Amino acid sequence: MSLVGADLTEFEQADPDLRTGHPPAEFHFAPASAEEAASILESASDARLPVLLWGGGTHQAIGHPVEPRVVVSTAAMKELVAWEPDDLTVVAEAGMKVADLETLLGSRRQTAALPEVGGEATVGGVVAAGISGYRRARYGPTRDRMLEVSLVTGDGRVVRGGGRVVKNVTGFDLPRLAAGSLGSLGLITSVCLKLWPLPESSATVRVADPGRAWHIAYRPLAVLESETGSMVYLQGTAREVESQAARLGGEVSPGLDWPETPDGPIVLSLRVPPADVPEAVTRLPRGRFVAQHGVGEITFALAAADEDLVALRAWAESRSGSMVVVGGESPSGFDPWGTLPPGLELQRRIMAAFDPAGILNPNRMPGGRTSGGR
Amino acid sequence: MVRRLATLGRMTLVEDLVAVLGPDRVLADQIDRHLYAMDAGVFRGEAGVVVLPETTDEVAAIVVLAERHGRSIVARGAGTGLAGGAVPLHDAIVLSTTRMNRIFDVDLDNRTAIVGPGVINLDLSRHTSPHGFHFAPDPSSQQSCTIGGNVANNSGGPHCLAEGTTVNHVLGLEVVLAGGEVLWLGGAAPDQPGLDLRGIVVGSEGTLGIVTRVLVRLIPNPPAVRTILAAFPGVESAAATVSQIIAAGIVPAALEMMDQEMTIAIENWLRAGLPVEAAAVLLAEVTGEPSAVEEEARIVERIALDNGAISAHTAADESERALLWKGRKAAFGAVAQSAPDYFLHDTVVPRTRLVAAMAAVYEIADRHGIKMMNVFHAGDGNLHPLMAFDASQPGMLDRVQAAADELVEVCVRLGGVLSGEHGVGREKRDLMPLMFTPHDLDAQARLKEAFDPEGLFNPEKVLPHGSRCFDFGRPIPEGAWV
Repeated sequence: MSLVGADLTEFEQADPDLRTGHPPAEFHFAPASAEEAASILESASDARLPVLLWGGGTHQAIGHPVEPRVVVSTAAMKELVAWEPDDLTVVAEAGMKVADLETLLGSRRQTAALPEVGGEATVGGVVAAGISGYRRARYGPTRDRMLEVSLVTGDGRVVRGGGRVVKNVTGFDLPRLAAGSLGSLGLITSVCLKLWPLPESSATVRVADPGRAWHIAYRPLAVLESETGSMVYLQGTAREVESQAARLGGEVSPGLDWPETPDGPIVLSLRVPPADVPEAVTRLPRGRFVAQHGVGEITFALAAADEDLVALRAWAESRSGSMVVVGGESPSGFDPWGTLPPGLELQRRIMAAFDPAGILNPNRMPGGRTSGGR
Repeated sequence: MVRRLATLGRMTLVEDLVAVLGPDRVLADQIDRHLYAMDAGVFRGEAGVVVLPETTDEVAAIVVLAERHGRSIVARGAGTGLAGGAVPLHDAIVLSTTRMNRIFDVDLDNRTAIVGPGVINLDLSRHTSPHGFHFAPDPSSQQSCTIGGNVANNSGGPHCLAEGTTVNHVLGLEVVLAGGEVLWLGGAAPDQPGLDLRGIVVGSEGTLGIVTRVLVRLIPNPPAVRTILAAFPGVESAAATVSQIIAAGIVPAALEMMDQEMTIAIENWLRAGLPVEAAAVLLAEVTGEPSAVEEEARIVERIALDNGAISAHTAADESERALLWKGRKAAFGAVAQSAPDYFLHDTVVPRTRLVAAMAAVYEIADRHGIKMMNVFHAGDGNLHPLMAFDASQPGMLDRVQAAADELVEVCVRLGGVLSGEHGVGREKRDLMPLMFTPHDLDAQARLKEAFDPEGLFNPEKVLPHGSRCFDFGRPIPEGAWV
């Protein structure tokens, strides 16, 4: 196939496995290096072909859908680049599965505190999606662990920001900006993450009042409420976990028994200041949910679009929060992001600085790329 | 405000500024301009005029006037920075935030506070501590440095080992951008849709805009604290102890190292109880549940002794602990007895390379004939070699600068970075290519351009000249894509 301004056929790979799960597109690529990805994206920019970036495909429901002509996947970049256990840092290629990385780190009793997701989710994918796990109450969001990022811009520049040390203020914090950028700045090819040691002991405590538990527990891993009850997750030395559990009262089980992520035709994330979580829970439509006390995120699933969604989003926004679609399909007429965030023009200028032709995941981010639409 | 501005513009910059701020908050005489031409480092610039706004509206008006008069703006907190970040160049307007020092709101349910950029770091923690909370970043200058300055430099401090640096504790901020546009970025609710602009403004050293309010995260005061002091016969055994503590699965709240030159200076001044006979001293602090800290303190003591420590003991009470910390945080003041001037360095290596880095520090000091003292955040590999010297000796400042540049090069070779918490400012601007390729620097320059197309905010800082020299975006053939 010949295209004006570029010929992408030279990069075309025949492996049909590369196409699984992707939406249909004319070209599917799985570059093995940042340099290969750069050639592909440069050509795609020249031809102005919209590109969908693909990790494990587990969080593609976030934001506006993309209608790509090219799909670039990180499936062929999944190596561990460097792991320095004594420095508590790891460098992984973007296509490495989160579960594989955490299993490996666990062999030396360390963790990157990435989301507790199994399956196909990739390191680059959860970083790009800005997804944080249940341990956020203790370890902060995923972006707080981003020490270094390498990415390929829309016009094929290989750019690295940050450094492989735990403390750094050398230039602008590109790693943090890349977290949650949903591919709008570039294809993330590798990241360096800060690690934490895994404490020796952990326990899950069932409690009646999660709000009270959040206030009396000293820095628990998580306080989660779901339709089946509320749990406090503790981790530390054996005596510490024991004494915290005793103070909380309630039924104690060893280990961390994470709730299943709510799933359904539509999955939403309600984000409010932490103190608003108890009220948010009372406002949820019936169905499965996980509310993170102390964090302010409530993920819930719906069987079908519901008029209450508009009112619930309005309430979240009135609390300076938001309600966004994170799984399934956005009901028709229901914007996946809600009210546009402030500084949209600035956001667009930043995206244009990294992707001048606007080919990367076009329009996925709130408000799209250009004020006038495409 | 807007109406008033419309009538301005035909007057001089100072007259225009006086019309907005009144005569008392516009400092234009020579002494004031001289005072504000430096930060706490060694560089001197030229301040055109100094302004002391009190509100966001006033800051926005100053930004508009600066644009109209073609003058750049350098924001300044307490001026405790050491890298020249707040040093004005080319008669820039110095915008001091010291009068924007109100704590607007403390929200204990959400564990947040909204503060002006001029609030002093320690004042915030003093304000919230009675309620059981504090602001985690604690630079050694915390008695005088401001939250706005902490935001600009993504400041750390001893306790950022476990808690992270300023960026981990800033949930949102109000910023005045080019054109006087005022934006709130981030907030108490997690993960605002769109790019994380809050995160990019933190650590940008005043080059993207002017932060006028900060929403900070407060963290609970730990129920128990143990501070361990260990004395070592050599820097190597102290560094090995640092690595092994981390490898044992303990991330202490703080893990600080001092060498003998430094402990002697501190003891001469303060008598903080530091062992002056030791070649290196480690100060470790563990926090958390009482049962956990007892256990961790014993493990830290044991690892130190296993590595050949002369002594290792846990502070018996709060007053002994406070004295140890007083000694640590007063270290830079203690240097004054050694020489009239000092150059405090800030660079980071992976913590496993501490021994190699320290050997290089001493070798470079010897070769240049400079007295080098060390007190630093060993736990995160953040070195602070301090060179004590007399700037009135001819050629001395050049030697110090040469030694400093060499140190940075060594640290980058060891896998480190230019700065851990002081920032790049002017001091390390031209060393940026040691770490970054032309493409990397170009991307940072484009980011700066997206925020500040006219180069109004703190120009000629952080990024070296010519960073934005690439234009790879070739013209798109017309009609290429339908």
